[in-house]
Amino acid sequence: MNMAIKLLHLDDESLISQIQEESREAFATLVNRHSKRFYRIAYRLVSSKDDAEDIVQDAFLKLWNRPNLWDPGRGTKFTTWFYRAVINLCLDHRKKKKLVNISEGIEFADEKPGADILFDLHQKQALLERLICELPERQQLAINLCFYEGLSNNEAAQIIGVRVKALQSLIMRAKTTLKYKVERYLGGGHDDHEF
Amino acid sequence: MTMNFKQFEEKLLMYGADVRKWPKNIRWSALKTLESSPELQKLVKNEERFEGVLNTRKFEEPSKDLAGRIVAAALPRKKKAQRNFGVFFSDMLSEFSLSRRALTAVSVSLIFILIVGFTIGYSTPSRYASAEQYETHLEDFLNYEGDVL
Repeated sequence: MNMAIKLLHLDDESLISQIQEESREAFATLVNRHSKRFYRIAYRLVSSKDDAEDIVQDAFLKLWNRPNLWDPGRGTKFTTWFYRAVINLCLDHRKKKKLVNISEGIEFADEKPGADILFDLHQKQALLERLICELPERQQLAINLCFYEGLSNNEAAQIIGVRVKALQSLIMRAKTTLKYKVERYLGGGHDDHEF
Repeated sequence: MTMNFKQFEEKLLMYGADVRKWPKNIRWSALKTLESSPELQKLVKNEERFEGVLNTRKFEEPSKDLAGRIVAAALPRKKKAQRNFGVFFSDMLSEFSLSRRALTAVSVSLIFILIVGFTIGYSTPSRYASAEQYETHLEDFLNYEGDVL
């Protein structure tokens, strides 16, 4: 079995210990294994492909340059720890950029519930993005991690740094708010429409 | 054990519209409750529609070469600095950031140099000027009243 195939069978923690020994192959294996998943959460938080890619690259390069930052002795899985690192970079990035509302130009034709508003798909997506961005930060994280990324409540709670009960409460509040707003702005014109 | 309407509604928000994916310990009772309640079935339908809307959220796939680009950008790490003064000071000048241990070493060295300097200075009498030569005659100076015109 050659080196690359051997590495594919190693778990993240073993790969990191090889990265500490400056193994580029181990680093490449780890990046190939996880870059897409971390890109997804970064994209959800910064809403820009280029920025999300830069953030993921930045996070992996930090890991390459200082692999000892991850301490397996603390009992946290590598992915949980790295999610946290990527999310922190995204939140810093948003603070710096003051995230411009991407749907700023959109006018709500009629805000009454049930009004027949015809948005095209692009406008609907922009509006949905805006509604999610308007949620409090931790609610955004909860819905992105649990609904969009499909993480378990347990893992998402560890990443955000709250108890599972608190995370579930965040998800419920986020969904309730979104349901109300989605119904209000996008709900018109469909039969039997009620969230 | 079955769930009541309120409990079911809460779990629906927490775990989503696909009841078959709920945690094992509540899945069976949830499915049983759902089976017998048209109201809950309507609730689940609404949740499915809501999730359908959430799933229309825009997403752009990453570039195909993202992983390759990251690996290519990972340069060989700097070798650990050799323990000599040249490297040490060039690091200090170039980065202006030192570890706590290095800062302690610099501080202790400077204090040591100062102490040694003072000790040598005070213990070695000057060969060129005696103390008398440099008396300031302070009292004379203070009592001097100037020339009377």
